[in-house]
Amino acid sequence: MYSVSSGTITFRSDAPLELVKASSNQLKGIFDAGKKQFAFSLNVNTFKGFNSPLQQEHFNENYLESNKYPRASFEGKIIEDVDLKKNGYYNIRAKGNLTVHGVSQERIIKCELTIKNNIVSVKSNFTVLLADHNITIPKVVHEKLASEIKVEVKADLIDK
Amino acid sequence: MKFIKVISFLYLLIASTQTFAQDSTASLLSILEKEMEQSKDVTIYTTATFKTTRLINGHSVENVGKGVLDVKVSHRFGNVSEGLYELFGLDKASMRAGFDYGITKNIMIGVGRSTFQKTYDGFIKVKILQQSRGKKNMPITLSYVPTLAIKTIHYEDPKVDNHFSSRLSYSHQLIIGRKFSDKTSLQLMPVFIHQNLVTLARESNDIFAIGIGGRQKLSKRISFNAEYYYVLPATKLNGTSNSLSIGFDIETGGHVFQLHFTNSQGMNERTFIADTKGKWDKGDIYFGFNISRVFTVGKKH
Repeated sequence: MYSVSSGTITFRSDAPLELVKASSNQLKGIFDAGKKQFAFSLNVNTFKGFNSPLQQEHFNENYLESNKYPRASFEGKIIEDVDLKKNGYYNIRAKGNLTVHGVSQERIIKCELTIKNNIVSVKSNFTVLLADHNITIPKVVHEKLASEIKVEVKADLIDK
Repeated sequence: MKFIKVISFLYLLIASTQTFAQDSTASLLSILEKEMEQSKDVTIYTTATFKTTRLINGHSVENVGKGVLDVKVSHRFGNVSEGLYELFGLDKASMRAGFDYGITKNIMIGVGRSTFQKTYDGFIKVKILQQSRGKKNMPITLSYVPTLAIKTIHYEDPKVDNHFSSRLSYSHQLIIGRKFSDKTSLQLMPVFIHQNLVTLARESNDIFAIGIGGRQKLSKRISFNAEYYYVLPATKLNGTSNSLSIGFDIETGGHVFQLHFTNSQGMNERTFIADTKGKWDKGDIYFGFNISRVFTVGKKH
């Protein structure tokens, strides 16, 4: 059983009038190598780096509703076989349920795995459509918020 | 018979391993999230107890963020009961313009000027405790707001010996607030006001009051607010009544619009808590609004 020793998630909303970028280093996760199953979870209200404190407040209050839906998660299975005992670099696909804002979507997400001395480093870039997770943007901020959010995940997992 | 027993035993075994297998697939995330829930290494602070730093007339437990400038423009119109001729009071406006600034996350300062008695006011708001859960558990937010107001209207009788100190008044207010749910927040505001000069000799220079206020969100961006200050009768000034206000907060991005009905026309602590002349039951109701626009002056958050 592997677990995340350090993990960061960064998201980026690139809209015509504003770039919103925030990240959290509070990503938690476990990976059962034998069953190839994993679960990652994050407290949504740990994102920092917004353009203003008010923007952070609106992110939690109005968009992600982090009190009602405190966590975002991704759980599922790895499609490819990987020998975690051997150093190396792999391109793999993770298939599972991505839950954001209380709405789950089945996703296949490509990841890069680097294994070095029993430390598994995961890196992944993917996008999240706000509409897929029932996050609505009022008309007045359409130019300030992208409907497609770019997400970058970086995590190191160690064998427990 | 023995054969059936073996079969059923095998069946049971398979069934039980199957449910076990299902449990273990479903539980990986729940194991993780249970661990996260139980881990006491993070404190989750409650934010957005109210939409802005004012509830209606008075302060809420909210502060502006560090490095944030909040420009506030407030109007109180004339008496609604004056009817159509005065356009329900809209022809007469009393105004306050002010700037609030967040020095740190927990300390903000503000200055303003009201047309009513040409008053300048200034305040500091210090957040002493912040509601939180997790590693640090705190059921309430506690703030302390001292204010100073200076009337600059001409002395009533310039011929007598007037002292500058007679223009000053002070208030000290504690705000104890709690966000009960996403939608409901309440606060209690004990307040002490001192004015150096009162109109009548038998009036008290010191006024004690306790306020209660709250909000109920009606949607993500609109909330209903109410606020009431009860002045201790022994310290109440002649011909004044308690301040009662109801209103709505409407938030659009960086703006918060507050629309309300109140029996107070003043917009600093002394005037609306101690010197409210209007009476709701006599129809002395004033329409008013506050507009708040925040600008981020400091660095990223």
